[in-house]
Amino acid sequence: MAFYHAKSTHRRAVLRGMLAGSAVTVALPFLDSMLNNSGTALAAGKPLPVRFGTWFWGLGHTPGYAVSDKATTGPGITFSGECEALKRHAGIINYFGKFNLPLDGRSNYPHTSGWVASRTGVVPDKNNDVPAATFDLLIADEVGNQTRLKTIDLTCTGNPDHMYSARSTHTKTAGEISPAVLYQRLFGADFVDPNKADFKPDPRIMARKSALSAVAEERKKLMQVVGASDRIQLDGYFTSIRELENQLDVQLQKPEPNKACTVPPSPGDKGVVGAVTGVEIGRVEATHDTFARLLAMAVACNQTHVFNVVFSDSFSGLRRQGETLTHHSLSHEERADAKTGLQPQTSWFNMRSMEALARFIDAFSAIREGDGTLLDNVLLLAASETSLARTHSIDGVPFMTVGRAGGRIKTGLHVVGNGDPATRVGLTAMQIMGVSVESWGAGSLKTSKTITDILT
Amino acid sequence: MTQPVAKLRFAFFVTVLMAAAMTLSACGPGEPKTSGAPPDVRRLTEEQYRNIIADVFGSAVVVSGRFDMPVRTEGLLAVGAREATVTAGGMRQFDETARALATQVLSEPLLNFLLPCALSNQMPFDEVCASSFIGQVGRLLFRRPLTDEEIGVRVAIARQASESLGRFEDGLHIALSNMLVDPQFLFVTERIEPDAKVPGQLLLESYSIASRLSFLLWNSGPDDALLAAAQAGVLHDKNGLEAQVERMLASPRLETGVRAFFGDMLKFSDFKFLEKDTEIYPVFGAAAVKDAREQTLRTIAYHVIDEDADYRDLFTTRKTFMTRALGQIYRVQVTAPNGVWVPFEFPADEFRGGIQSHLGFLALHSHPGRSSPTLRGKAIRNTLLCQEVPDPPPDVDFTGFNNPDSPSKTARQRLDAHSTSPACAGCHRITDPIGLALENFDGAGQFRTAENGEVIDVSGDLDGIAFNDASGFGPALRANPAINSCLVDRLYAYASGHKLGPKDAFVGYLEERFAADGYRVKSLFKRIATSEAFYAVSAVSPATSAAAAAAGQ
Amino acid sequence: MGFVMTMWNTAMHETPFMDECPQGPTPGNYELWEASISPEKRRSYPEVLGTQMRWLTFRGRKGEDVCEQPMSIQDPPLTIVEGKYSYGIDLDGNSDGTATPKSCAHRTFTGMNGEAGVDNQMYRLLGCIQAWRSTGHLETNANSQRRTGGLGMILVEITGVDDIRNDDDVKVTFYRGIGSFNLDSKNNVLPFGSYDIDIENGKPRYDDTVDGRISNGVLTTQPADVRLPLYGNYQYLNQLIRDMRLELNTTESEKPAKGMVYGYYAVEQFYDYVRGLLSNFPMRHKYSCPAIYVAAHELADGHPDPDTGKCTTLSSAFKFEAVRAFINHPSKVDAVNEAGRKTSLAANRP
Repeated sequence: MAFYHAKSTHRRAVLRGMLAGSAVTVALPFLDSMLNNSGTALAAGKPLPVRFGTWFWGLGHTPGYAVSDKATTGPGITFSGECEALKRHAGIINYFGKFNLPLDGRSNYPHTSGWVASRTGVVPDKNNDVPAATFDLLIADEVGNQTRLKTIDLTCTGNPDHMYSARSTHTKTAGEISPAVLYQRLFGADFVDPNKADFKPDPRIMARKSALSAVAEERKKLMQVVGASDRIQLDGYFTSIRELENQLDVQLQKPEPNKACTVPPSPGDKGVVGAVTGVEIGRVEATHDTFARLLAMAVACNQTHVFNVVFSDSFSGLRRQGETLTHHSLSHEERADAKTGLQPQTSWFNMRSMEALARFIDAFSAIREGDGTLLDNVLLLAASETSLARTHSIDGVPFMTVGRAGGRIKTGLHVVGNGDPATRVGLTAMQIMGVSVESWGAGSLKTSKTITDILT
Repeated sequence: MTQPVAKLRFAFFVTVLMAAAMTLSACGPGEPKTSGAPPDVRRLTEEQYRNIIADVFGSAVVVSGRFDMPVRTEGLLAVGAREATVTAGGMRQFDETARALATQVLSEPLLNFLLPCALSNQMPFDEVCASSFIGQVGRLLFRRPLTDEEIGVRVAIARQASESLGRFEDGLHIALSNMLVDPQFLFVTERIEPDAKVPGQLLLESYSIASRLSFLLWNSGPDDALLAAAQAGVLHDKNGLEAQVERMLASPRLETGVRAFFGDMLKFSDFKFLEKDTEIYPVFGAAAVKDAREQTLRTIAYHVIDEDADYRDLFTTRKTFMTRALGQIYRVQVTAPNGVWVPFEFPADEFRGGIQSHLGFLALHSHPGRSSPTLRGKAIRNTLLCQEVPDPPPDVDFTGFNNPDSPSKTARQRLDAHSTSPACAGCHRITDPIGLALENFDGAGQFRTAENGEVIDVSGDLDGIAFNDASGFGPALRANPAINSCLVDRLYAYASGHKLGPKDAFVGYLEERFAADGYRVKSLFKRIATSEAFYAVSAVSPATSAAAAAAGQ
Repeated sequence: MGFVMTMWNTAMHETPFMDECPQGPTPGNYELWEASISPEKRRSYPEVLGTQMRWLTFRGRKGEDVCEQPMSIQDPPLTIVEGKYSYGIDLDGNSDGTATPKSCAHRTFTGMNGEAGVDNQMYRLLGCIQAWRSTGHLETNANSQRRTGGLGMILVEITGVDDIRNDDDVKVTFYRGIGSFNLDSKNNVLPFGSYDIDIENGKPRYDDTVDGRISNGVLTTQPADVRLPLYGNYQYLNQLIRDMRLELNTTESEKPAKGMVYGYYAVEQFYDYVRGLLSNFPMRHKYSCPAIYVAAHELADGHPDPDTGKCTTLSSAFKFEAVRAFINHPSKVDAVNEAGRKTSLAANRP
């Protein structure tokens, strides 16, 4: 027991100064006294929740300059070049190489087909179509209903359209672009302090909920008036209303006490994307880092169990101040070295993307939870949607899992796909998170082969 | 209105009726019959939402929060809105926005102004007052009168809430914010009824006619007068409809509708994400972005409404409006104080003429740090000529074309590979010559004669009409017949929300009339708004009632 | 063609180690006050002066403010420039600095391009005062205040231009501008803004016009007395520059154009400015008002007083930068017309 006490002071000290550099006693969602002896479950017997997230960056890696190839699946990932920054996290990452996205003869819509295929399991017929729900939403349907926010979706580029989570073409989730607005949503008026002993359900919330039920009959009648295709439209609305009602339900329940979950200071929007759009890399990085800290806190305080973060969009308009060419333009126009194929300036942006990922991982591993860190109870899927951006290649698109998923997966493995469809990754992720799905995807992307190598 | 005046109006009305009847029968090639499409459901766009809120509660009310953007379909957000739904995040936003709006409406000073009764300090729940408030507001929000049952449900909500929360206005707050997330507010749902006069025929319900009309002309919900006309049943009558159309065309609110259409057609939604590199184009800041968008919309509104001029002249007109901030980018003298808009005409010897020479086009379709002939050419093809440009092939790799020993100085040189390589030429010949004509304007829209020290060659041709520079490009664009058919197609698609078949007879008719009217946009709006085709409906697509009921759970 | 001045500095030739000032920089109020008392007396006061600060300003023999009344105390002489080179031109037409009917005897400099007989007594006066140098406070602060506040804006209008590269006969008018600068993210003034002329009672407050010529794009003006507005360090300056000549390279339109102004600057006018600086400046930025006053009178080399024969002005040179601008004359201001008003309705919708 003395061991735990010593640790807890250490944890508080670690977290001081985490947010905006000011001394804040944030942090620990699950206090030692609430944990069982091995720190893997709440003292009351409920296991620590496993959270799921995706982290997206555009324009992939330069083959040969990020992760060294391996012949067969096994422990040990050799990061280099663009992935230099990930070396320090290699122990908690699984890398998936040589997984492909066969399109069954359909067009490869640049910077679109890749993410649609890998996230929905279905190849799009038309540009900008999303033929099925992305798997993060299927996971959210499974594990997202007990938190106030079913998902948190963040975009670091200032454009809410840069988000790769959707139920259908016309039901694309919009990303939050402003850390200040996110902060208000997380810790503003709707935040329920878990440490208030005298929790009383907010009568306003009850009134809102009851109002929604009162008009339910009317809503049903509306469906009878409209045509078949319009019903699909309204159905999306009704699904969302149900989620709103669910959110209200959660808010009416007493949350688990989080002794030190105090409200951190607002980050403001100075220097970050939000009030002003911008894809200048410095700004994107500043926004990303602020988001990472806020998100880690939100996850640790169980405001959500599912999140999506987009560092740069699939086209990657990232740019440097004073330069005429953006990351995207460079990937197509920069002269590649004849022997190695490396485009130095393009590669520079890829490297910065990986450095951001490394800092994101830092933000999550900085929060102690149970016996380890928050990351131990997270399954983060970091992915892009091309491998070599210059040719829009979608073979060998890089995927990585980060975190131990509550002990459900091994880490440190380099998994070699041998040309298998990348939907195996999405399928495995869903199964790890408890979605009951045997097979997923359509056409050549259809698979039922879980990547058992990473399962414990 | 005084009695004699009313009598006069009635007499005049009758005369008009008779004249109209005679004109109709004397008409030449008339409007072709259309079978119509099933009634539609569409989600309010952000602009429409804001306009309706401003109409109902006044422009002092602040609408904050983000909106799901519809997917641009067939070139228009208005068409995408026909398939848009509300995502979970979007629902949350609507809910937050609704509550914030209700708070503003139910606080001083608006509360006193909008509530049909005086509030007292005690807490009796005033059923009459609540009923009246909900009825009045509901009629404007749901765009039709609420039934007694619908009002009753909401009054009950308000009563229950005011009892648990303690104050009358808190009860109203719950009811109002609930109405603001109701699908009948967020979605425009059209209803049909059988035509009493023609058995077997279907008609759009009066209130649905009112909505179609008011979203087309004013981009907002029907106002009180239009709802009253719908209620009186006069919208099914040609003259009753035309009277409302005339009223709405004469209103200053027409400008909102015209701006909404052109803003959608010209993809001005992209302005939200427009940014320029502050080192390369220091003069193009956030204020410039706002002003650039406003300049083009203002120019179009003035040309099309105030001057009621030939649409084609929008591509050659040197008349526009200017602020001091814009003047600095155009490098022209502006005497108006900061922030004030003044009419302005570009001198004849400059290369500026037509909205395609405005910053709002040139800077919008460029990269943050340089111009882009391909983007500009594609934009003109897509938005002004309604011509598809195929997507680039995914495996294009033109890094090999970049020769480091003699770097291309101008865009024309850089894009030379586009036009000579067979794989690329097919598409780039469609876009690049147009964009290259505009290369005298850099990525921020500023004029230049040279790039990297090399004089820019802007000669080219547009579908057969040659030009030497940007001032010749405007007339070439004006003379291209596709700009007219494109406008007609787009406006009709915007109005009706559905994709047009290639042989749509009604659109062909509209195109003919547009030319005959001298390419007057206001006349085109009127022709659509008073046509039969615009309101023609066919049956709702069938489905079992079980499925319908199940879907509504 | 119009320009607006974006920077104005006294033209000073400075070397990094102040070689032109062999006696070092001049002492300020603190040093002079400390030198006037015994070490024991100094030690009796706190190390960091509190209420004693006012003594630094009011150290006249009878407690006078030494800047307001510079003759109230005799300070050690100002350290002045002893260097060889300076910006400037030969203003008195005499290359050896001996007295002429229009000037008093003084030492001349060699110009930056080797010209002989350069007259710049203002530089000689100020060159060793840290506050006036480019690394000091006064000129930097003044430029910054003008730039952010739009105060003391000088508009330069060149009219009668037939050929912008070569024209023997143009007119140059100096106005004061009203308004603010449009700055980019690095606080540089963006070119081609429109500026209004400051009008009082229907007439421009400043509108001196001089003759000039343009040769290969460089504008030069004929000597004339010109009144120029300016603002600096919290004071509006109504400065008269006598026998003023201007040079400006008009070919630059993207980056600021560089120019020079030469002429004679009245000692009393200059000292008025010194007098009006903040009272803690002589201590904080190290100079002595009495020393400046005395030296300025001694160094004056132009416009001898007809009665006393003593010179009343200092030969000077100023460096400036300007960007292209549109100058709005009052008669051309348009009223907002009906169309503009009508179409503003929709724009006012949120």
